[in-house]
Amino acid sequence: MSDFEAAGAKLYVLSYDEVDALADYKKAHRASFTMLSDSDSEVIRSFGILNTTIAEDDHPWYGIPYPGVYVTNSEGIVTQKFFENNFTVRPGAEQLVAAVKGEEFTLAERPVTGEQVNVEIEFDGADLPIGITRQIVARFSVPEGMHLYQEPVPEGLVAASIELDGDVEGILPYTMIAPDTRPLTLGTDGHTLEVYEGNVILRLPIAQNGRAITKDDDGRWVTISGKVRWQACDSEACLLPEEESFNFRVPAAFTVMADMGPGEGRVPSMNGATHFKKMTDRRKTES
Amino acid sequence: MQIERDTRGAELAPNQYEDAEGYIAPLPAGSGPRSNPLGAFPTGPEVGERLPDVVAVDSDGVTLDLHEDREGKPVVLVFTRSAVW
Repeated sequence: MSDFEAAGAKLYVLSYDEVDALADYKKAHRASFTMLSDSDSEVIRSFGILNTTIAEDDHPWYGIPYPGVYVTNSEGIVTQKFFENNFTVRPGAEQLVAAVKGEEFTLAERPVTGEQVNVEIEFDGADLPIGITRQIVARFSVPEGMHLYQEPVPEGLVAASIELDGDVEGILPYTMIAPDTRPLTLGTDGHTLEVYEGNVILRLPIAQNGRAITKDDDGRWVTISGKVRWQACDSEACLLPEEESFNFRVPAAFTVMADMGPGEGRVPSMNGATHFKKMTDRRKTES
Repeated sequence: MQIERDTRGAELAPNQYEDAEGYIAPLPAGSGPRSNPLGAFPTGPEVGERLPDVVAVDSDGVTLDLHEDREGKPVVLVFTRSAVW
C-alpha cells in the first residue's frame, strides 16, 4: 500500500459487498486503501463488466464483476488495465505500481549504432504466491536507429519475447505488458510490422497454481526458467537473433484467502461466513 | 454479447476440482464463483478513455465520488468479487 502512496496514486477497491462487511475487512486487515460498496452492482453495470455468466437467481454470486484493475494518470485517463480470463489470477502490486509510475530505466550507456542490444532480465517480486502475478521483466536498450519486432513476424525474423520453458509445470504466463510500437513497412516486400525502439521494457506476468512447489528444510520454493529472445534490425539489415536464459528460484508464498474459515496458509481475521449469509439472505428477500 | 463459461477441468478428489490452468478449488470450474469466461469478455472502458464516474459508498457509509476524492492524483481502481469470500 505504501508503495502506491509513494508513487503518488490512490488505491480504490470496489466490490458488491455491504458497507459493514467492508468495514470489518478494513479493520481485520488494517487496510489503508479506500473500499467501495456497490451492493446493487450499479457501478459494475455502468462499466459494462457485470459477470453475465451467472444467473440472476444464483443468489450468492450474482452481481459480481469480471474482476480487473484500471490504472489512470492524474487526468483520470485510463493508461493501463488488467483483466484475465481466469479469476483465480490477480495482478500483483509490482506491476500496478509500475503501471502508475511509468517505466523508466537507464542502462550504463546506450550502445552505439550497429552494436549489440543490452538486455537485463529481472524477477520483479520477492516471492510467487498461488494466483497472484509477479513479472519477469526484460529491459532492452536498443541502439539509435535500430528496433526490435513485436509478434507476429514473418519467418526469418525473431520478435522480442519472454518465454517460459515448456517443461516447467505449474508456472503460468499471462498477458504480456509491452510499450507502444511504431508501424514499419519493410522496403523489400511491403510487409508492415510493429516495432519497438529505444528503451524497451517487456513484462510477462506469471503465476503458479500450486503444482510447481518444491519443499526443503529452508521452505517452499518455485523455480521459473525460460528464455528472452530478440533480434535487432535497422532499416537496412538485421543482427543475428539472440537469446538469454533466465532461472529464478523464489519462495512460494502463501496466499491470503477469504476469511470463511481456517486452513493451511489462511489468515482468518474476520467472520466472513456471517457477512456471506447476510448478503445471500438479502438477495433472496429482494427477488 | 453472449459470454460462454469456461467449464474445462477435472475432479481430482471430493471437493477438489481443477480448472483448465490447473488451479484447484472446492467447486467445479464454471460454477458459482468460478464462472470464468471462455474467450473474449467485456472489460469496460479502454486505455485512452476517461475513467467513467464512480459514485459509491465507502466502508464508513459515506458516499464518495472517485474523481473528486482522488484530488488530481493517478488512480488504481480494483474491481474484485468480494472482500468476504
